[in-house]
Amino acid sequence: MRHTLLFVILILLLPVSVAMQDLLPAIPVAQARIQILPVLFCFAMLALPLLPALFFALATALVQGLVLLQIQAGQSELGLTLPIVFFIAWAIVLQMSSEATHGMRWELHAFGSALVTLTLLGGEFLVLCIKRGGFPLDMSVGLRIIVPALVAPFLAPALYFMLRALVPLSPDAGPVAAQPSFKR
Amino acid sequence: MKKLQIASLAILVVAIVWFCLLEAGTLSSLQSGLLAILSPITRSGGAVKKSISGIGKDLMTLEQLQKEYDRILAENRRLRAENSGLRDLQTDNDHLRQVLGYRERSAFRLIPAAVLGHDAGTWWSTIKINRGSKDGIAVDMPVITDRGLVGKTTAVSSDVSEVVLISDENCKVAAKVEGTKEQGISGGARDTAGELHLTFLSKLADLQPGQKVYTAGVSGGIFPSGLALGTVKSFHARELDGEAILEPSADLGDLEEVYVVTGAK
Repeated sequence: MRHTLLFVILILLLPVSVAMQDLLPAIPVAQARIQILPVLFCFAMLALPLLPALFFALATALVQGLVLLQIQAGQSELGLTLPIVFFIAWAIVLQMSSEATHGMRWELHAFGSALVTLTLLGGEFLVLCIKRGGFPLDMSVGLRIIVPALVAPFLAPALYFMLRALVPLSPDAGPVAAQPSFKR
Repeated sequence: MKKLQIASLAILVVAIVWFCLLEAGTLSSLQSGLLAILSPITRSGGAVKKSISGIGKDLMTLEQLQKEYDRILAENRRLRAENSGLRDLQTDNDHLRQVLGYRERSAFRLIPAAVLGHDAGTWWSTIKINRGSKDGIAVDMPVITDRGLVGKTTAVSSDVSEVVLISDENCKVAAKVEGTKEQGISGGARDTAGELHLTFLSKLADLQPGQKVYTAGVSGGIFPSGLALGTVKSFHARELDGEAILEPSADLGDLEEVYVVTGAK
């Protein structure tokens, strides 16, 4: 029941996070933009069970793909395939990390948010280099990838504790898996 | 329970495959749908942002208020003196405009719009404005300010539109350089935020910093001729052509009000 409530809240927060990150001003360093969507995505992947997490990853990919959609000469530049592959892959990795640490932890959320943001922006840059040609990797481009990734771990705890307060998920973890025992 | 999980997984796989196979036209419609969903949040967020940014602007110390009052008083005196002289000039100006038909030839039908926010995409330069198809906006309409060209509309929902800025790598504009016969293609670049690159110029163009660049208005194009695009910052010859770096005429980083050109008057 709690997971259903959390899933609904997170789905509602998806468009809110997109609108919020559009309203936030650019960081003066290299005009980098703050990314909230990867932070929300990371929380959902750690907090939700596998199936709802995969559905949420698909929803995130659709939102991100459509927000960045640009049609050039009747063809979409990125399409939805790449965002779907990206977010589903991260969903599986984060679910495994959540299980390995016996449930979600705020440090894992912060670290995961940074990694998801870094790979998202880096991946977009690489795809654009392949599609448009050229590889203009310099200090300015590097900062525009790294700075939002460095900001993400500072945003993550705020979202983590707000959502944990809103929907308390029993102990700081999920149910701990039964340990194998040789006792009779 | 297990059957339900398998069914959910099957639905997920089918949904993923279906979304991956969507064509550009369907994606564009979906994007307009997403814009419509985001519209109330973006509009109310934009209003809140405007009021918050207004708070700081309005707060002044008594000393600042006194200075502002003195400045306005002096300006008022100067303007009143100027105004009496300008009335005559206005009459002359109106008459000359009528004679030349200037207004008829150069003015556009404009729809004013407020900027709701800059999109957070790192490699794309787009903004959202508070006008949509309800107001007569369609895709591929030029967007300008009083200082020059801003971009063009790319996605339109009923009351919010997305505008790709001229600083985006994908927004190409045919341009001509003031005082020369040089023409080229202007666009943004991934490695520079905010600057324009004017390419396909002659290697011997030798443009000087400060020269103005305007839209060339090619036939069948989106942008009309003669809109201010930017000012030359530097020029360098490349292997096959010349490239100029431009400072956009409109302040793309601080847009609040823009106009959508819906056609000629």
